[in-house]
This record gives sequence, C-alpha cells and structure tokens, in this order.
Amino acid sequence: MKPVPFDYVRPTSIEETCALLAADGDARVIAGGQSLVPMLAMRLARPARLIDILRLPELSGVRDDGNTVVIGAATRQAATEHHPLIKAKAPLLAKVFPWIGHPATRRRGTIGGSIAHADPSAEIPLVVATLDAEIVVREASGETTINAGEFFLGPMVTAIPQGGLLTEIRLPVWSQPRLGVSFHEVNARHSDFAFVCAAAQVGFDETTHCTACAVGIGGLGEFPVRLDRAAKALIGTDLDHAAIADAVDAAMAELDIWGDLHASAEYRRRVGGVLARRALIDARQAALECPQ
Amino acid sequence: MSTAPRRLRYVSANRRVREDRRFVVGMGRYAADVEAANALHVALVPSAHPAARIVSIDGSAALALPGVHYVLTGEELAAATEPLMNGLETPEVKRYPLALKQARYVGEWIAAVVADTRALAEDAAELVEVSYEPLPYVIDAEAALRPDAAIVHPPHGSNVLLDRTFVWGEVERDFAQSQRQLSFRVVWGRSSTVPIETFGITAIWDPWRELLDVWASIQMPKYSDQIARAMRLPANAVRVHQDVDVGGSYGVKRGIKHTILCSYLARRLGRPIRLIEDRLENMRAGDAHGPDRIFDVSVAFNTDGIVRSMKMRALDNVGAYAGRAPFQLGKPIGAIVGPYKIQSVEYRAQSVTTNKAVQEAVRGFGQSPTNYAIETAIDKVAGALRLDRIEVRRRNFIRKGEFPYLIPSGTRYDSGDYHTVVAKVLDHVGWDALQTERNRLRQSGLLAGIGIAACLEPSGGNSTFEPLLNPKNTTSTWMESCRIHVDALGDIVTTVNTTSSGQGHETLVATVIGEVLEIDPDRIRVVRPDSLESMPSNSPVGSRMAIMLGGAAYHAAGKLKQKLIGIGAHQFGAGEDAVVYANGGVATTAGDRRLAWAELVNIAHRNWHLLPPGMEPGLETNQIYQVPTGGTLPTPDGRVQMYPCHSFEFHVVLLAIDPDIGLPKIHRYVIGHDCGTVINPHIVKGMTLGGIAHGIGAALFEEFAYDDQGQMITQTFMDYLLPSSQEVPEVEIVHHCTPSPYTVLGQKGSGESGYLGAPAAISSAVNDALAPLGIAVAKLPIRLAALGDAIAAARQSSKA
Repeated sequence: MKPVPFDYVRPTSIEETCALLAADGDARVIAGGQSLVPMLAMRLARPARLIDILRLPELSGVRDDGNTVVIGAATRQAATEHHPLIKAKAPLLAKVFPWIGHPATRRRGTIGGSIAHADPSAEIPLVVATLDAEIVVREASGETTINAGEFFLGPMVTAIPQGGLLTEIRLPVWSQPRLGVSFHEVNARHSDFAFVCAAAQVGFDETTHCTACAVGIGGLGEFPVRLDRAAKALIGTDLDHAAIADAVDAAMAELDIWGDLHASAEYRRRVGGVLARRALIDARQAALECPQ
Repeated sequence: MSTAPRRLRYVSANRRVREDRRFVVGMGRYAADVEAANALHVALVPSAHPAARIVSIDGSAALALPGVHYVLTGEELAAATEPLMNGLETPEVKRYPLALKQARYVGEWIAAVVADTRALAEDAAELVEVSYEPLPYVIDAEAALRPDAAIVHPPHGSNVLLDRTFVWGEVERDFAQSQRQLSFRVVWGRSSTVPIETFGITAIWDPWRELLDVWASIQMPKYSDQIARAMRLPANAVRVHQDVDVGGSYGVKRGIKHTILCSYLARRLGRPIRLIEDRLENMRAGDAHGPDRIFDVSVAFNTDGIVRSMKMRALDNVGAYAGRAPFQLGKPIGAIVGPYKIQSVEYRAQSVTTNKAVQEAVRGFGQSPTNYAIETAIDKVAGALRLDRIEVRRRNFIRKGEFPYLIPSGTRYDSGDYHTVVAKVLDHVGWDALQTERNRLRQSGLLAGIGIAACLEPSGGNSTFEPLLNPKNTTSTWMESCRIHVDALGDIVTTVNTTSSGQGHETLVATVIGEVLEIDPDRIRVVRPDSLESMPSNSPVGSRMAIMLGGAAYHAAGKLKQKLIGIGAHQFGAGEDAVVYANGGVATTAGDRRLAWAELVNIAHRNWHLLPPGMEPGLETNQIYQVPTGGTLPTPDGRVQMYPCHSFEFHVVLLAIDPDIGLPKIHRYVIGHDCGTVINPHIVKGMTLGGIAHGIGAALFEEFAYDDQGQMITQTFMDYLLPSSQEVPEVEIVHHCTPSPYTVLGQKGSGESGYLGAPAAISSAVNDALAPLGIAVAKLPIRLAALGDAIAAARQSSKA
C-alpha cells in the first residue's frame, strides 16, 4: 500500500494552480486527502503529480452573499460544520456533518474535496444536488459555474473539465419564512458511506402550504439524485403523509438503482423511498415548528 | 504438590495489568519496530485468478529497476524448502509460500520481489509479467463435493480433506424413542479476527554462526520447529526472538509462509529481509480467514423439552490449502453437547478445499460456530414446543452435583453451576421488566426480540483433536513451562517462553508467583527468552495460559518456596514440618526464630556451609507442566478427553429492528460469566468485552465474501465491516465463580469468553424479533439490508 511515485507541488495562487493543471494531464488536485490518499495507497489513483491547494487562502472560508452562502472549496468540513453562517443559512448542510466520516476525518476533509470526489453515496454531494447548488470552476481561460444537476456525471466522475479547479460552492438561501430540513441515512456502521440516504428541505408560508420543496437521495447508483417531480408535486400541498408517499413512490419508480453485497437494488429502492418520506415528514414538522 | 496459599492476596485482586503501562503510552515493541541495518524489503505478486496454471514468470523488467535485488518464484523456493506442515495426512495437498506451477486463489503469492524499500518493491512487483492459463475453479463448499467439481489439488484426487462420522452413544435408538424431532440448517460466514497489526517479520541469516534470527508477529505452537523443518535446518539453528509484542491475534498470527519466504531470501541474498504485510495482503492472502461452515442439525427431543440426541453435520470450506484448518472441526468435539445432558450424538465432520484464501485458527478454534448451531437447536426446540427458551435450557443443563460430567464424546467437564449463573443473570437483568420492555418496543412499531445463549468455553489447550483426526499423530503432551530465578540480591526473574498477543501473560505469571511466594508481584521481572533459551511451550492457544502458564508458574514457585523452607528449617535445626513460610521468610512454628527473604537468599547464594547437605546452591526452579487431565490418546471409536476446563457463559440480549429499514439496534447486552478463579479481573473483563464485540462482528458485520468469479469482494475495511465503538453497546457482566478442581487455583480459561456465545445470542434475538412475521434468519453475518429485504418480503406475502 505505497503509492506509485508522484511529484508534489504546492502552488501559491489559483492562477498558478490552473496553469499547472492545464499543463499536466496526469496531475490531480489534493486538498484534505481523506479519499485520495487511500486511493493512492491502494494504487487505484496513479497521478504523476499532486497539486496541493489546501493552503491557498482564497479557497478557504464561508461568506454570506445575500441569496447564497459561498463556501471555499478547501474549507475544512469541521470548520464549516461549526460555522454560524452555515447553521443559520444552510441548515441542510449543517444537518449532515455528523454523518460524514469521523471527527478526525472532518478535521482534514474539505467541502470541495468531497464534491469533486463525487462518491454517489456521500452526504455533501447529496446536499449540493438536492439544493441544486452552483459549483464554481476556474480554468486558465476563466471561471464557469455549473449547476449541481449537471455536475455529477457518474461515480467519481464530474463535469470539472481537464485543467479545471473547483473553487467554491454557492448554496442557495431560501427566503421562505418557515424552513425545515431533514436528513436520514442507513449504513451498517454510523460513520460509513451510506447504503442509501435522503435529504429534504421544505419552505412554508404563514399557513400550512408548502411553497418550496427539495428532496434528494444518495447511494442509489451513479450519483445523488434530486427528485424534482416529487418536489413539484408537493409544492402547494400541506405535505400530508399521503401526498408525500404518492409523490415519492412515483419518483422512485423512475430511478435506475444499483445493488451490491451490502444492499440489493430492491433494498435501495424501497428504503430510499422510506428515507425520502421520513425526511419530508421531519422537514415539514421542523418547518411548522419554526417561530413565525 | 505445593501447599496452596491460605488466603488469596494478589490473585483476583484489583491490580493493574502490567503490560497496559507500555501499551497505553504507545511504547509496545512490535515486529515492525525491529530495525535491522541494511534490510531489504519484500512485496508480493498476487494471483488475479482463482485457479490458473502458471505458464511463465518474467521478472526482467522488475529487476531492471535500480534498487531491485531479486525476483523469487515458487519453483526456486519449492526446490530449496520443504512444504509447509499439514495437520492431516494429506501429502498431496502441498503448500509452499509461493504458488508452485498453479495458482489456487485470488491474491495467492505468485512471486516475491526484493528491493531497497517497500515502495520500490511494490513498483517492481507491478512489472513482473505472469502468464496464466485459467483453470476451472470452485468457490462453494457444497459445489466442491460434487463429482464434477474442479479439483483444487488434482494429485489429492478430490476436494475432501476430512470426512469422518463419529457416533457416540445410541443415536438411532434415541431418535426412535424420542417424541419429536426437528432439522435445520445454519450457515456461519467466513470471518476472522483481523488484528490491528498485520503480520510482520524480519529474518537474518548469519552464515558464520549458521544461525537464523527471526523477529515476528507470531502466535503459533512449535513455530521454530516448523521453520527448521521447512528450511532444512537443525532446530538449534533457528532463534526466534519472543520479546516482541504482538498487536492482536486470537489465533491468526501464524505467518509461517511469510517466515519461510523471508528466511529463504535472507539466506539466498545474505541480507536481512523484512516483510510487513499491508492490509490488502493481510485480508486477501494473509491466509488468516476463519471457519466458513454449513451445519445441518437434527435433534430428537421429548415434549417436556428434554433433548435426547443430536445429529450434526459440519461442512467446512477451508480454502485452497489444508494447514491446521481441518482441526477446527475437531476441537468442538470436546464440548459437542454444550452445557446440556444430550445422551448421544452423531457428528459428521467434513472439510473441503476450494479456491478461496487459506483458513487459519480463529478464537475458539471452531467452537463459536458450533455453539451457534447448538443454541439455534435449543431455541427451535423451545419454539416447536411453545416452551420458554430459558426453561428448556434449564431442563437440559447438567446440574451442579453431576460434575465431573462425562459427555458422550469422551470429555469429562470439570465443574459448573449453570442454573445459578442463569438465575443471577435473570435477577440482574430483571427478566419480567426486560420482556415488558421488548413488548413496549414492539408496540412502538419496532420488531423487538430477546436473544438467549448458553455455552461453554473449553479451555486448557489440550489439542487431542490432532490424534483424534489424524491417527498417525500420537501427541499427548501439551506442556507449558516456567522458570524462576532469584538473584543474589533477592530480586526475582521469571520467564514466559512464548510471545503474547495482548493476553497479559506477564501479569498472570507475576501474580501467581507473587501469590505463592507472598511477595509483591510488581517486584517480579518477567522476561521472554528467545527460542534457543526457552523452556518448552505450546504457545497461547485454546484458552490455555491461565491454566497452563499459571500452573507452571505455581509449581515452579512452590518448588522455590520449598527450597526456602528447607534452608530455613536447616538453620533452626528443625524439621520442615516445624517451620512456616510467610511473606517471603521462614519462621519456626513457635515463632521464636525467623529468617527473612534476604537472609535466606544470602544463604542460598553465598553460604554453602549453611546449606542443608545435598542441596544445590543458588535459587532457581522450574516446572514443565502437562495439561491437567491430558495425556491419553483417543479410543478407537473416537472418544477423547479434550480440554480440562469448561468456563460457562450465559447471554441475554435485547435488540430491536426498524422494520422499514432492517437496521438492528442492541438495546441491552448482559452476560453471566463463570471462569472459575479469576487471576486478574481487568484481563478477564477485557477479554469478555472484546469477545462480545468480536461476536457482534461475526453476527452482524464481518465477512470475507467472494463473488462467483472467485474474487474476494471485501478486501478493505470499507467492505469488511468491523464493529466500532458506535455499534458495540455497553455490556453488563454478571460474575460467578465455580472453581475448577483440576487447576492450581481453580482457574479456567477466558480468552474466548463472550465470542463463543455472542453470535448465537444475536441470532437468537433477531429471530425472536422476526418470529411475529413467521420468518427466521439462518446465516451469519446478518446483513441489515438482507434483513430488511426479508422483512419486506414477509410483510408482502402476509398482505397477499
């Protein structure tokens, strides 16, 4: 379990990073290394060069941009977890941290690293997909923004172009007066990647009408999926249990789902639906409990 | 026989475990901490195929890398060494460290690359070109028995290593006369003990002294003998350094193939050779998987719940080579009826080769799977009769007054008080309240169940399963030794003649000697001589060391005490019966004269003129100790006294399953434990808690799973799931002490405690939870998603 030999560079600016990435097709970005280092050790990843972005100051930090919360790609998961702005304005993301690895891995792991790694069952990519966040990628030629819906292409495959660097994530801030979020996950051991997981965020007006809804499921197959049809069907309802069940069941039936040793495809389809329903029910409850 | 101490002073006392001091501060010294100057490093080329003829191996590209020294193939190694030892007489099932002509499982070592660093060796290993011709293979044990199965070792003629049926007692009569019968199958998945420290070794050959030095992470009986035999060296040319800490084992640290590979390379290249397995090598080809077993069980019983007879067939998949694995079907014969008075047993032990990795000894040596099968039978009998599961156990238990109790297969159980342990546990747990809690959980929408398991831990490591299953093996001696030396300043040094893998042997031996000599155990230095300076040992296997090392230390200390009494009596001009030994000194019975420890030591070391005539000077004693009750060979009809002692454990588990998800959660875990006299309570507690965690792993999480292409699909800790602190609940331990009449202090073994009953208890709890749905699980590990699927299917069919 020793990596294939590689070069290591630590650029001092985003521009330099992009130039290095553009110049070397066998280079890979390393940040917290919580996924990449084990893959290097197993020789599943064999880059010729590692470009360490962890100490680039402009990639770290959380800021309020009005309609969005912006998180620098190299911000540590632990720093994000405990950031007051995340609790206040990105409550769904705040909800998932206890499920991500262990405190020790969250001290090292970064937000952008988890998204760029694109494990289909990882929690942060699910939040990003559920909220259809914007993912900002810098190249030597300039900056592009990719919606999460177009970002995840397959297991460990993203839309980051060759030579591109993920620089920040923009999570939309919902304006509904009453907001509720929930997250559910099933795995054999608490800190593992999910067999299946579900996230929901709902907004209510002053009555019991749901005015905004997002629900997503991870661990089903190629990448985390946002159940748009279900969300659309639920907006305008009171999010009663029957409506939730109908909407989720219809959405689940359309999905392509994989099975493995740990959980069959049938399990993931059935329990994915269970978790999505539970997430929506809990999110509704949380929203209705919000002080008006 | 030494005089027993009147009152226990250090034994059973709340005293620190001396080894913990160095482990807690991170100052253990492991095989990988041994740094040999100028050492070369080894990496292995693994087989990609479950079965393939090796057409050619081309190491030229690897050797072309600067810093790469050698590429070793199986052909070269096999020509220079003897095959590794088999337990059974299966001479055509030959095993060498590197595959010879044919690969037999995915990951098997095909070639070894030696380089300046491990990283370089790994780079070079990728460059070794192996040309294979894939062959038919077989993964499943039942498939391996079919006449058309691919044969793993064609010269052996079949995949069957062992197929023997024992009949103890009037099985057919008892079946015919019983009112009821039932049959079932349960399957124990392939798991292991998976130590934190992988296997590691450094070997150095000194041609001028003709001496092979080995530092290894080893737990293995007769390790240096096996090295000598395979290396074609005299045993006194092999020096195994036993003063390394072993970072976890419970049976599996038996890297004999690693050792022979490195020893040969050390000789061949004239440089120290080091191989520290990485996790992938350890999981895939460390040859350290545990039992992989199908049980077909029938029991005959009466309507009062009394089980009269049992037929058990155990089919074990040992993987690609034999080793000692088939013996893991033999040890459970010594407790084949568990704690129950079953009169007669038919036991068919079948061991087959397949194209999986090689099996090794794992905690309990086959006993935990067997206990799982027996306990499932008892639960099923209770279920069939609609009787209380605990009541059925009580009715079948051997009673306190019936010990020593001879079981049909020839072992005499030493002692026990099962009814009292059960009563204490039920009292502790609040049995009615526990059932109320289960019902409350059920009413809240969960599937909740209570698991019960009662089982024995045979202990003492009297490995008579060897002559039982291999008539050519006539070994009946399973000794352990201890030497005590008191220097001229009166300080005590004693020996442990084997490595330890966390069992606390230093604490054990110091505690026992301190007890006998009435001296603070912390004043006793414990050393581990190398194998050339050691007294005989059979290493810590079969929960034997409290009994065996404890027994040897006790007797060696008794001899020392007797010598001191002789010296004292001589000074007083009194007979030995007119003096008393106390606190390290000797006094006259009247109390008018006394010689303290230092004075007695001084006489022994410096005052020949004061020694009783004929007494040797100095203060050194030793004991080579045979297993109590051991020493006899099996009868022709297959009865034998297996282990001397039988600890008892009784588990009660409350567990609840979220029916929509399948996720089981343990709400309460209580174990009643009786291992006789406890030498050190912290060690016994640690063993029991760790054993339960291990058992939870075997029951719910851990499996070396293979797909039907013969690929192992759980090669890392992402897929081979070890229970963590978040999955293992708090465990409540209820103690009881029924001393063994066969051991020096009444102690029994506890190295496998918890593990031997936890899988049965968890399975019992899950099945109690599933009972309202009319389904049961019959295979370990119980994966939560499979459980969820089974629940969903049962609900679906009840709707339909």
